[in-house]
Amino acid sequence: MLKDYLDRELYNTIIKTFCFNDITEIRMRANENLIVVVKNKKFYLKDNQGEFIKVNTNLIENFIKKASENSIYAFNDSIVNGYITLPKGIRVGLCGNIVTDDDKIVTIKEFQAINIRIPHFIKNCSLPAFDFIVNGEEIKNTLIISPPGAGKTTFIRDLVYQLNQHNIPKNILIADERNEICSVVNGEPNVNLGGFCDVYSNCSKKFAFKNGIRSMRPDVIVTDEIDLERDLEYIIEAINSGVNVIATIHAKDLNQLKKKKNFDTILEEKFFSRFVVLSSDEGPGTLCGVYDEKLNCIYCR
Amino acid sequence: MIKWILIIVLIAVIMLIAYSVSEQYKDKYDFYNNLKMFLNQFKINISFRQEKINNFLNSITPKRQFKCFIEEYKKYLSSGELNLDNVKVLEDEDKAILNDIVKNIGKYDAKNEVQQLDTFLLTVDSKLSKALQDKNKLCPMIIKLALLFAIGLSILLI
Repeated sequence: MLKDYLDRELYNTIIKTFCFNDITEIRMRANENLIVVVKNKKFYLKDNQGEFIKVNTNLIENFIKKASENSIYAFNDSIVNGYITLPKGIRVGLCGNIVTDDDKIVTIKEFQAINIRIPHFIKNCSLPAFDFIVNGEEIKNTLIISPPGAGKTTFIRDLVYQLNQHNIPKNILIADERNEICSVVNGEPNVNLGGFCDVYSNCSKKFAFKNGIRSMRPDVIVTDEIDLERDLEYIIEAINSGVNVIATIHAKDLNQLKKKKNFDTILEEKFFSRFVVLSSDEGPGTLCGVYDEKLNCIYCR
Repeated sequence: MIKWILIIVLIAVIMLIAYSVSEQYKDKYDFYNNLKMFLNQFKINISFRQEKINNFLNSITPKRQFKCFIEEYKKYLSSGELNLDNVKVLEDEDKAILNDIVKNIGKYDAKNEVQQLDTFLLTVDSKLSKALQDKNKLCPMIIKLALLFAIGLSILLI
């Protein structure tokens, strides 16, 4: 997949050096060595002569040119949010000169760095927490917590798969804001999550929660990377409408989560009855603990 | 009898040459006209549908010389190299303009892309009016001169 976008020589060097399935990130920073992250460890990539491969701005620009299919304007909505999503859910984070107009981000230009994140579908990775989240046909409102890169998306992707595997006949609406969970291309998800899933890809949580409840009649809404300041209103509305919510959020642990704005409301109103903490201690998706609505530990590693 | 047939053939050949020379001016005018329409369509695409360039290029049905240009454009998108030698109506100055257009389209967000296209359209407009002027002025003149030359030559031969 990445061979369509990366410089051919560079791609060949990467696949000669590493097992592609183990790569989680490729980082390119202008005038710095190229870094490949494999199983949570960072490696500088070397060329055939054993020299470290240095990234230049041309390499970055050519990658973005190919990733946007020479049509930056068609990807600008996602570029202003700092990323482009490629088929198969590969997310390319972008850094560069931010162009603003009246405090509104217009676009990013003169790219300085990119981070190519390659998703993995690790089957059964959510099973250790499954019984805490699902009780018979009841699915608990769950917030999955981990720092970036610790396997939140992989976890919810597998959780949805497991719900289908366990024949829990619930309509699952996936609000896939960055098209990472299912990676829908031309209307077809690249990841088979089962027969009960409806997917909104590349759309805001506001749209997915508000319109999805009306139009798709979901039993569960699954979404990635919520922002408690921006999205809480929609989540509360969904939960109060009788729709369960499974969401992920960035935080290292519960102590960090408690410091987030609006988290008090979540605790007081008991909107979420399960908090699942993940880390990358033993690889992305390591289950550290499961907590109930009062943050009492019901499973600790 | 043979002499008359040869004279008619000679006139026909001269007129054919004149016609093909004048056709180049028509082709050039058609090319710039198509380019103008293409850029306008592209502006609409960017403003509303935001189709990627490749999909947009596949959705149009170009003719004659403009088809060669679109084919080269598609090749450029995959290889990164633009070769306009196949587009016969273009002079070096025209090629430089097209080079600019091809290499700059798709580099910006929609708003800036439209502004960029407007700038290109100004250049294309001036080239189009020049091509129209040439077509209106030179095409009939070439045909008339060729006809006069053919008649003159025939008189000399007779």
